[in-house]
Amino acid sequence: MIVIDKICYSSGLRGVNAGEKMAFSVMTLLFCVVSRNAAVALAVFFGNTVLTLWKGRTPWKQYARLLLIPAAFVLLSTAAILVNFSRVPLDAFAVPIGEYYITGSRRSLALCIRLILTALSAASSLYFLSLSTPVTDILQVLQRLRCPTLLVELMLLTYRFIFVLAETAAAMTTAQQSRLGNRNFKTSVRSFGALGSMLFIRAVKRSARIYDAMESRCYDGKLRVLRESIPPKGAEIAGIILWGLVLFGVFMGSVLL
Amino acid sequence: MKELMRAEDLFFSYDEGETWSLEGLSLTIQRGKKYAFMGANGSGKSTFFLCCNGIHRPNRGAIYFDGKPVSYKSRDLLALRARVGVVFQDPDDQLFSASVYQEISFGALNLGMPEKAARREVERVIDKLEITPFSHKPAHALSGGQKKQVAIADVLVMHPDIIILDEPCAALDPRHSRIVRGIIDQLTGDGVTVLMSTHDVDYAFSWADEIMLFHRGRLLRQGSPEEVFSDIQALETAGLGRPAVLEVFQSLTQKGVLPKGLSVPRDLKALQRYLEDLPSGERPSSL
Repeated sequence: MIVIDKICYSSGLRGVNAGEKMAFSVMTLLFCVVSRNAAVALAVFFGNTVLTLWKGRTPWKQYARLLLIPAAFVLLSTAAILVNFSRVPLDAFAVPIGEYYITGSRRSLALCIRLILTALSAASSLYFLSLSTPVTDILQVLQRLRCPTLLVELMLLTYRFIFVLAETAAAMTTAQQSRLGNRNFKTSVRSFGALGSMLFIRAVKRSARIYDAMESRCYDGKLRVLRESIPPKGAEIAGIILWGLVLFGVFMGSVLL
Repeated sequence: MKELMRAEDLFFSYDEGETWSLEGLSLTIQRGKKYAFMGANGSGKSTFFLCCNGIHRPNRGAIYFDGKPVSYKSRDLLALRARVGVVFQDPDDQLFSASVYQEISFGALNLGMPEKAARREVERVIDKLEITPFSHKPAHALSGGQKKQVAIADVLVMHPDIIILDEPCAALDPRHSRIVRGIIDQLTGDGVTVLMSTHDVDYAFSWADEIMLFHRGRLLRQGSPEEVFSDIQALETAGLGRPAVLEVFQSLTQKGVLPKGLSVPRDLKALQRYLEDLPSGERPSSL
């Protein structure tokens, strides 16, 4: 998560209106999920990857590493669909083990490939958004879309304090390690427990201090902050619509052919 | 000098009277002056600061603002907090938004400023405090000193009459300490009353108009830096040392290097000027 956060703040697409990026991401995501079509999925994946790597200047190694995470899940779950254990060999492949076969059908093989492609390109849509748009920008779009204020405020505070909590936890872990808190399994378990309880106490105390600090600035229960949005550009919107049409064309083409 | 704020016989306890963080504190703050609050950890400085803007309500005693006692009705509290700005010691306790711009705008909007005016004000403060180079970074990517600059901007954007800084230079590197001190000097130049707690005797000696020496929830000694730092007994009780300039100046005067009757130099530069003014023949070779 911290890696994603670092990348998105230095993304080449940071200066693009967040609403546009979100619309693009949601649109391509919907295309993949609704169509369940391998050709559309390929096109979406290609488009997102090109934009993220070329326009967003995301280092390709990190992009690949991030994609490997959903890929691992997808491969594990599709393997369950593909691999059967039966007495009768199926048409795609069959490895005999005694009287039985480890086997799979062509249809399930095709299904798996389609699933893998759809899932990965859906993931690439989300990565496109999260690698180019800081959380605070996304929250502003959500606010404009009339997402409940309470929810948006909670997300704003959560996002900020995840990092504070992580920093505190890291500092405490270092302190424990420098006193040999992790020399063996027993001490590690004990240190981890102490870390958890101390973190909780600190979080509670800090939240009290933050509340005081916010009240000091005339907080009255409503979190008012200025939006800092970048105006949308006509050419970019046209591009998004065009890409939508292209994806639709790919879908129709692959269905008709 | 006009009285701005007065505390009378304040008592405050965090644990329902088991221990008292403030125990009969009385003091007066005058408009436009620079106050350094000194004293050991736990002597009540921070507690007093949070009493000043009504976050803590004293168990006994009263605080007067412009001669009127502080009212704890929620609307009056908001008006009070608009006038008394507090910069907390740990900026991580203060910055709630990951975006610097949003963070600074919070106080301005809470005052009910219209959006346009608030935007202008936020940008003015960002520019004035030299936050521009990192204003587009997330709060968690800022250094401690940068977070402190933002924390001060948070409060400046509200234009308070009094700014309270709780150990503003704690844990800052020398460069950021200089930046923060430069900002504080600008503030006092603009006529804002500044209350600052610090453990840095040299800085307090050179900067403050008035030193407030706290000890166990009470005011041990109040006075000009020269007065307070000559009160050896009070310093010992509070566990404070003396400013280096003062020590050196006094021994130079005692040894007859500097003539008697000079006014006490507040910082190293003033002392150097005295030394440079000496006829060169009289300067002992060891200096």
